[in-house]
Amino acid sequence: MKLQLNIWRQENKDSKGAIKNYKLNEVDEDMSFLEMMDILNEDLIHKGEEPVVFEHDCREGICGTCGMVVDGRPHGKEHGTTVCQLHMRKFNDGDKITIEPFRAKGFPIIRDLAVDRSAYDRIMQAGGFISQNIGSAQDANALPISKNVADLAMDAASCIGCGACAAACPNGSAMLFVSAKASQLNLLPQGQPEKAARARAMVRQMESEGFGGCSNYYECEASCPKNVSVNFIAKLNRDYLCATFKEGT
Amino acid sequence: MFKYLNHLVVSKFVMAVTGIIILLFVTGHAIGNLQIFIGKEALNAYAAFLQGLGEILWIIRIVLIIALLLHIITSIYLKLYNNGARPDKYVVTSYVKAKLNSRTMIWTGIMIAAFLGYHILHFTVGSIQPENYNQEEIYTKNAYSVGMGMNAHIANPEEHRGSVLNKVVYERHDVYKMVILGFRNPYVSGLYILGMILLGFHLSHALQSFFQTLGMAGPRFSPFIRTFSNWYGTITAIVFLIVPLAILLGFIGGNV
Repeated sequence: MKLQLNIWRQENKDSKGAIKNYKLNEVDEDMSFLEMMDILNEDLIHKGEEPVVFEHDCREGICGTCGMVVDGRPHGKEHGTTVCQLHMRKFNDGDKITIEPFRAKGFPIIRDLAVDRSAYDRIMQAGGFISQNIGSAQDANALPISKNVADLAMDAASCIGCGACAAACPNGSAMLFVSAKASQLNLLPQGQPEKAARARAMVRQMESEGFGGCSNYYECEASCPKNVSVNFIAKLNRDYLCATFKEGT
Repeated sequence: MFKYLNHLVVSKFVMAVTGIIILLFVTGHAIGNLQIFIGKEALNAYAAFLQGLGEILWIIRIVLIIALLLHIITSIYLKLYNNGARPDKYVVTSYVKAKLNSRTMIWTGIMIAAFLGYHILHFTVGSIQPENYNQEEIYTKNAYSVGMGMNAHIANPEEHRGSVLNKVVYERHDVYKMVILGFRNPYVSGLYILGMILLGFHLSHALQSFFQTLGMAGPRFSPFIRTFSNWYGTITAIVFLIVPLAILLGFIGGNV
């Protein structure tokens, strides 16, 4: 099939970007979106032009490296998929597709569609861990955890940290990511001792990285490739407010 | 005092708590208004009762004013902060779950605040349509059940002498007449109807947002509260709307 691609091209963080038009004439419907991008880049290299920079790694939808905004939706219009798992059969012959980088103050653009998401790493360093003395692991059944809680913690842990939540949010807020990463520990007994400190440290790091606050748009949930629920944001709010009431601001 | 603005989650908490205070007042106001359908006696007695609360009325007013000011200041601060967190707009925008009501909260909020200013000047201060505001109603109550009230005074006692036996004549603000005359003006009614549609739209996002911000969410509760919130906004708007609509269409107030 034939496609017209409108792709955001930007030299670096400080330069001014713009949409550039490209045409692809032989796109197979069984290709993934990123394979289509590969074909485009091969074309551009043959013509002696700069290929479009985008990030990718596993191409199986589990690593969280890829991510671009397709027609205004991070990872494209399909629900619960990363852009690498989006297939060209979801598009029609002659479609015009606009491809942009993730946009948020916390994600400065590196080049074209690649953005710097190291802010998420620093949020994890602020509280996305538990502190435990080393030694042999205790017996698995020594800590009883109900099935419901284990399932919920697993749902939170399914976040792959791709950044689509902050890209989708009209406020550029990373609350869905922060809440998933805080909740996967705060729900479980191992996370309890540092629960209050974790909630506060991770939210504060998010604030200092330039991400906005949550206005309950729920746009993040709609874009999340792992369907992480906004209920975790409510839980993070609760943990944060409890910590504030106990310890002051 | 405004240090809390440095913390996004605390700011959201302030928005939720001040918002729910205003929402509860608005709900009480909507229900109180319905007494106009019972008649002049019910509405004017209710208004006189509220005015008679004295210090309690002022406590309620001060709480509401503080809540409103905090709600407005926090919302403007958050909006500017959040706009700064997304400096570059997308070339193509597409929303799935962010509905129009959530995306226009700041704008409906500003318009409701402007409407509130008009409403207070109209019906509380009385500087808009003062000819309708300055209406007094003479009414009587049986003397043996009420007695000679401290605040009561007899209007034209000479006129009533002999004709009113065992009754005391009082005077009170004729809210019923003020509302009927006010809403007979289609421009005034139109403004109120528009204001109440905006209010309902604002509340439809606000109520569920309160629960989400305070951490009350779950796989069964969240879908319920979001639907409930939409209905709450719609019904609140309708309950407010039917008063000017009924007056404009002549269903009530024919005796004024």
